[in-house]
Amino acid sequence: MDTAFPFGLPLPTAFYLTVYVVTLVIHVVFMNYVLAGTATVAAAYLVGGRARDGDGVRLLKDWMPLMLSGAITAGVAPLLFVQILYKQEFYTANLLLFNRWMAILPVLIIGFYALYLLKSGWLGRQSGWVKGVVAAVPIAAVAFTGYSWTENHLLSLRGPDFWGRFYATGSQLYTEPQLLPRLLMWAVGSVPTMAVILGWQLWYHGVGRPRRLALFAVAGLALVGASAGWYSLVADAATRAAFVSPLATPYFVAASLGVALQVIGWLWVARGTQFQARRLIVPTAGVLLTIGGMTVCREAVRIAAIGPDRFAALVPIHATAFGRGGFVVFVAFFALNAGLVALVFWLVRHRARPGSGAEGTVGG
Amino acid sequence: MDAVIYPVNDFGPLMKGLAIGGLGIFHVFTAHFAIGGGFLLCYFQWLAMTGRSASARVFMDSYFRYLVLISFVTGALTGVGLWFTSIQVSPVTIGLMVDEFHWLWAVEWTFFCLEVVAGYAAFRYGPRLTDRARLALLGLYTFAAWMSLFWINGILSFQLTPGTWLETRALWDGFFNPTFFPSLLYRTVAALVVAALVAMVLINLAPGFTREQREELVHRAAWLMAPMVLMPGLGVWFLAAMPADSREWVTGGSVAMTMMLTIAVGASALVGGYALLGLLRQRLYINGATASVLCLLAFAATGGGEFVREGVRKPYTMRELLYSNAVKPDEVAALRLRGLTEYDPYPLRNEDQLPKLNGKPHPHLRTGALVFREQCSVCHTTAGVNALPALTRGWDPEMKRQNFAKLQQLKPFMPPFAGTPVELESLVQFIEWLQQDRPKTWPDTAKNAADYAARLARIRGWLDAAGPNPARLPSATDKGGR
Repeated sequence: MDTAFPFGLPLPTAFYLTVYVVTLVIHVVFMNYVLAGTATVAAAYLVGGRARDGDGVRLLKDWMPLMLSGAITAGVAPLLFVQILYKQEFYTANLLLFNRWMAILPVLIIGFYALYLLKSGWLGRQSGWVKGVVAAVPIAAVAFTGYSWTENHLLSLRGPDFWGRFYATGSQLYTEPQLLPRLLMWAVGSVPTMAVILGWQLWYHGVGRPRRLALFAVAGLALVGASAGWYSLVADAATRAAFVSPLATPYFVAASLGVALQVIGWLWVARGTQFQARRLIVPTAGVLLTIGGMTVCREAVRIAAIGPDRFAALVPIHATAFGRGGFVVFVAFFALNAGLVALVFWLVRHRARPGSGAEGTVGG
Repeated sequence: MDAVIYPVNDFGPLMKGLAIGGLGIFHVFTAHFAIGGGFLLCYFQWLAMTGRSASARVFMDSYFRYLVLISFVTGALTGVGLWFTSIQVSPVTIGLMVDEFHWLWAVEWTFFCLEVVAGYAAFRYGPRLTDRARLALLGLYTFAAWMSLFWINGILSFQLTPGTWLETRALWDGFFNPTFFPSLLYRTVAALVVAALVAMVLINLAPGFTREQREELVHRAAWLMAPMVLMPGLGVWFLAAMPADSREWVTGGSVAMTMMLTIAVGASALVGGYALLGLLRQRLYINGATASVLCLLAFAATGGGEFVREGVRKPYTMRELLYSNAVKPDEVAALRLRGLTEYDPYPLRNEDQLPKLNGKPHPHLRTGALVFREQCSVCHTTAGVNALPALTRGWDPEMKRQNFAKLQQLKPFMPPFAGTPVELESLVQFIEWLQQDRPKTWPDTAKNAADYAARLARIRGWLDAAGPNPARLPSATDKGGR
């Protein structure tokens, strides 16, 4: 592991890690939109007044159920591959957290239905505090899920001795000093991602104020910097070393460059009076670099935490799974269904009924 | 036993199988609704665009809203929930399944993606699109939903009937296993029925329809139930394809299994009879209350069917590969020599509540509790559903020893005991202690060394007499289903 990810790793391990990282990045993009979006909607409802009726909040409310569906569906793939890569670690953490972990499911269902309530006419007829409470439910549900995932992930990085002691306590709560700063870094990191997607949505509809969204995104990036600083102070030496290990260094550099690119891009976007595609491309590239880079760094930290012996023991398991059939079929159906998804977009874009007022539109 | 030993959680009075079964039944019902709902929407769209029914177009939006709210939210999350619950109940089982079928699961995932995109697009934009475009979107949604059933059906049916995969280890032999097609076709018909019944409830709830319009919609929807005529044949096909011993459980060998099958068959017969004779032949109307009752019956049929599907795998979770307690059949003999409790890295919770012996938690009760946790707790509780102390009440200690040692012969749907005579004796002591309401003191049953050695020798004799194999090894032609 003295070369950049995924080179230097045995082929099956490198292959599954790459597929995992790619699918996790897709999941993170959706997840970030939902996390920052639900927070924004909740804040707008709590502030009240015109903030609630802005173009951005209207679009977020409208798209949120679909994006949460997207986040859940996109999460299935990395959930599958993490079981190939780190079966014992993932299953053990699930089992140790037991009911506390399983609680994310009813909580997410409640949060999901609250998103639909936000779009309903019923809510418009309710008093302000009811609207505030309903608007706060989705972000509470998503935040709880994010916290639980972080807790689960960090517990999975511990070793069998610790797991045994933790099991004996019967506790279903796990914490460690780096949990909060780590969670905060990923949470505030969702703001720039959401801003980029929302920027494209506003551009598509020809509405919105670039300066305001840019300010929001840059504030989010500043918070990312602050929480990253806190994380680096609290994290143990092995975690810090993992970021600058040969495995992760190029990706850490890419992630940092991505942040810089986002700042530059948003400053450029802010100078416009309306959203422009050529300007939005810059922060978009920055976000992708940052998320992709940080996702690889996350794996480097995990590999370092597991340690060389345990990681070496996982390699034959990956090789065994690699020998199973079905990959070609997956590629074939992936291509087929990607084409069919494209067909769906094409149908919506080009097959509106004359006079329906929806010719040539997607969204809205 | 798998090389990795996982921590085991205590579900209290709830049997673990009930937790996963309850969630599974709910998920299957909503998933069937999602699939059948797609077929119904395609049919109604066709009726609307060909001028056969103006009411169908109006009804579709209302129906689709429920489909999105139920299937896209609860259905999707209970699907993920089933995965997490499977990990809680048997991580070794789900781990083996993922190892073997992960690319097919990934294929299913690509269909989830298409299902979500096409479904939301049809729901959101369908009314604004041309009729052909809307039908195309609904068709894509339905195709994706049914294909997700296609893939998961192969994986789930493999657990009961791995078929020739046991010899070839070829992926497609496992996927297209003996119960693949009957199960797939049966579920497809069930999905159509659930969708039609939900439609009938909603037709009665939707505002703005006249009685004539509701009648027309009910009779249109009832056509989706016509394939129920195939259900008896598909059920018989499924029964014929399953392994002989599994078939025996549901045809009288196990009271619980037979009862559940009866519920499934009885509820299906009631729904089918009403649909085929009342709705299609006599063209009767169905009101909301009756439709709701039929929905509940369909839910009961789903519940009975899923219970049977899970139960007939006993004593395995993956036939020939893994017993329900995560012990692999080829490891039993070795475990009878070296035991398992010493290798379990997870301590016993609350062991300070056990009686003390020489100032420490009673060693035999402690070992017995570990054996219970490792080998029994996946299906049994200490005080609740299927509680082992209750099931063995009336057995004296010697009966317990012999019956546990010859477990697979006593009850063929039980796996063979996979531990040493010391562990078995400890389990007997633990159950005795539970049956006596957990007294604060417990004797040292090994104090009389000669007596203890004789007991262990008798247990070893019974273990050897029963052998390490399941009660009846299927014949070569019936391995993993015909």
